[in-house]
Amino acid sequence: MKKTLLLGVAALALAVAAPASAELMFKPGEDARFNWKSFEDFKAANAALKGQTLTMFGPWRGEDEKLVQSILDYFRDATGVDVKYSSSENYEQQIVIDAQAGSPPDVAILPQPGLIADLASKGFLTALGDDTQKWLGENYAAGASWVSLGSYKGKDGAAALYAFPYKIDLKSLVWYSPENFKDAGYAIPQTMEELKALTEKIVADGGKPWCIGLGSGGATGWPATDWVEDFMLRTQSPDIYDKWVTNEVKFSDPAVVGAIEEFGWFARNDKFVDGGAAAVGTTDFRDSPKGLFASPPKCYMHRQASFIPSFFPEGTKLGEDADFFYLPAYAGKDLGKPVLGAGTLAMIMKDTPASRAFIEFLKTPIAHEVWMAQSGFLTPLKTVNVEAYGNPALKKQGEILLGATTFRFDGSDLMPGKIGAGAFWTGMVDYAGGKAAADVGADIQKAWDAIK
Amino acid sequence: MDGIAGRKSALTWAVHISVLLLVALWTLPTAGLLISSFRDKDQLAVSGWWTALTTSTQNLVGRADGAEKQVEVDGKFVIAGNLLDGPGQTVTAFGYRSQEPTKFKAGEIADLGDGRGLTVTADGDYIIESDLRIEGDRGQRIFYTAAIPPRFSLDNYRSVLGSGGAGRAFVNSLTVTIPSTIIPIMVAAFAAYALAWMRFPGRALLIAVIVGLLVVPLQLSLIPLLTLYNKIGAFAGIPAKGYVGIWLAHMAFGLPLAIYLLRNYMAGLPGEIIESARVDGASDFDIFIRIVLPLSFPALASFAIFQFLWVWNDLLVALVFLAPQKEQLVLTGQLVNLMGSRGGDWEILTASAFVTIVVPLLVFFSLQRFLVRGLLAGSVKGG
Repeated sequence: MKKTLLLGVAALALAVAAPASAELMFKPGEDARFNWKSFEDFKAANAALKGQTLTMFGPWRGEDEKLVQSILDYFRDATGVDVKYSSSENYEQQIVIDAQAGSPPDVAILPQPGLIADLASKGFLTALGDDTQKWLGENYAAGASWVSLGSYKGKDGAAALYAFPYKIDLKSLVWYSPENFKDAGYAIPQTMEELKALTEKIVADGGKPWCIGLGSGGATGWPATDWVEDFMLRTQSPDIYDKWVTNEVKFSDPAVVGAIEEFGWFARNDKFVDGGAAAVGTTDFRDSPKGLFASPPKCYMHRQASFIPSFFPEGTKLGEDADFFYLPAYAGKDLGKPVLGAGTLAMIMKDTPASRAFIEFLKTPIAHEVWMAQSGFLTPLKTVNVEAYGNPALKKQGEILLGATTFRFDGSDLMPGKIGAGAFWTGMVDYAGGKAAADVGADIQKAWDAIK
Repeated sequence: MDGIAGRKSALTWAVHISVLLLVALWTLPTAGLLISSFRDKDQLAVSGWWTALTTSTQNLVGRADGAEKQVEVDGKFVIAGNLLDGPGQTVTAFGYRSQEPTKFKAGEIADLGDGRGLTVTADGDYIIESDLRIEGDRGQRIFYTAAIPPRFSLDNYRSVLGSGGAGRAFVNSLTVTIPSTIIPIMVAAFAAYALAWMRFPGRALLIAVIVGLLVVPLQLSLIPLLTLYNKIGAFAGIPAKGYVGIWLAHMAFGLPLAIYLLRNYMAGLPGEIIESARVDGASDFDIFIRIVLPLSFPALASFAIFQFLWVWNDLLVALVFLAPQKEQLVLTGQLVNLMGSRGGDWEILTASAFVTIVVPLLVFFSLQRFLVRGLLAGSVKGG
């Protein structure tokens, strides 16, 4: 019995195991859009690493893992290092477990600065050094803000650059269907005043303007935090935003409560949201954008980060079936064009020649261009060829990123985990459920006071 | 007598009906999952599995061919094609603006302006006729309402089984599970015999301690255990994460229950058999191997099933004790990763549930005959 079982298993294993080939996505030297010289230079400089192993832990799974593997293939090809990439659904917890138990990966890539700060303060990370800090400042657009994003206090209390920003997501985007806009005769709003007027016009025409969904399993509420952050940047100066993130400006402050109420203007009006205000808290954020493509359309606009097209119905063509515009700022307030973003940062957990080489690899334009040419990747690296962006939508997002007068990282990711991934989320669910903004702000502030 | 018999039969009916209800209650979700596993992602997002079995009316959006497909017929420019993608579907209404998706009945002619007309027939054929050459690169959007018969596909199973590393993960899971089932049983059987039939001081206390260990929560002890393992491993030169670690972990977490179960079972065996064996000069080892072990087969088998299912379905211990790379990723870990970075591809779960269920079912059915065997079937002969 067991023998036949094992035989069957072996046969099945042979049948389903896909051949693991390391074919490069774009052949070196062939496509003029790519900076192949940077690849060849990197290859020449790191030939001595052959045969080493690099374990890497990151947040990308499923389709995203295929993308990151296609980048890692170039690193493998250039250095001969055996890169073992892995991820897991609960990577935030797992990286902490692994670090504390003394078996961390060589390189970790994480999207939460709050978590990275925690790892750095416990001495689990290796500082990247002054050269990298200087390089970031010179080669990334708005370099100083990226350096400060990657700098944390180490175990000794001194701040140093521990994390290398790589792959940026843009958050301040409103998605819509250009053809539905054309059918109804709507124009893309250039200011927040126009956006609010358009919202009211759609209602007057008998439609629903917005699809908003906050549901996300254990993380329910996070999409609303992005709304609030966007409105913080559109109603207050970036200075206040920075103070809010560190709690110098309290959650119960009128500035913050005002931003929450701006979100409420959109989300708490039954006429403005598909399914009514009651559906906001329960609709899954992954299903929410599908209303844009329903017949007749369930809504006309959806505010979400640049990753959301992966949840559009199959076959949706970006730029044609679906497009986006920048969530505009108030014309009446002189705050420029603020942009909210998020992103992933790479850090060294075990200081080996291979992990140092990987950080060097991230400095080459080719490590950015190959992902740009596929999907879902934005970079502030100035030396890349923007023609390499795989589709017009990405290129347009890249331009929004470069045209920003203010760039701020997702505030909830910068706050301590108990707030940014806890009280802030649940507070927003309460707010969507009808609680007053001032009460919600006071509740979150109480939670923050408790961990000080 | 009749009355009693009548009452009895009424009661039996009540029992039967409630059993039937319970069975339905338990199997309905599984049936729903099975049906869902054959539906595609977009269908799952818009409707429940119970709608999958009947013809449903859906509002859909199609697109006519682009201008490059137009042909000139009798001085008119014509684009023709079909909107439907499967047999048995019928169009009842259509429209060309998103605001009025059902303005026209199938077969009517809609005026698109500029001398252009559109018509869609019930079988999904559409024709756009224009007096002038049609410009623009994208085809006209056509909104239509169609009756769609049930449609099933094997795509979810394909993406589960065809994903890179699924076979590898399957073998990894077996590599973890089989030793993690056999090792604790072997250790526990010896321990249980000693605790049941050998007399030594402190035996009762030892049993109490083992029962007490049952309440240690696995989640609490994981990290200290991993730290301990890593430290000892570093001392002995064993890599930090590997199969040995997870076998030991599963053994440690499984042992208290195994010893407790087996001891209670062995203590219940008739003492006469063991005493007569002693009188015949058998040592403890002989008694254990020749008499107690064969008699305890039902208990061993039932614990094996427990332990196998628990280890096979485990994700937490595997995530902590195994390297998360493909070389050591178990099936549960592989399936979770298939859901994508943001966990939205949950249609994968429906199919993967049925893929993973196969092995536990095989194990259950191959071991369950040992459970049914009578307890003392052999002892009568022996006595």
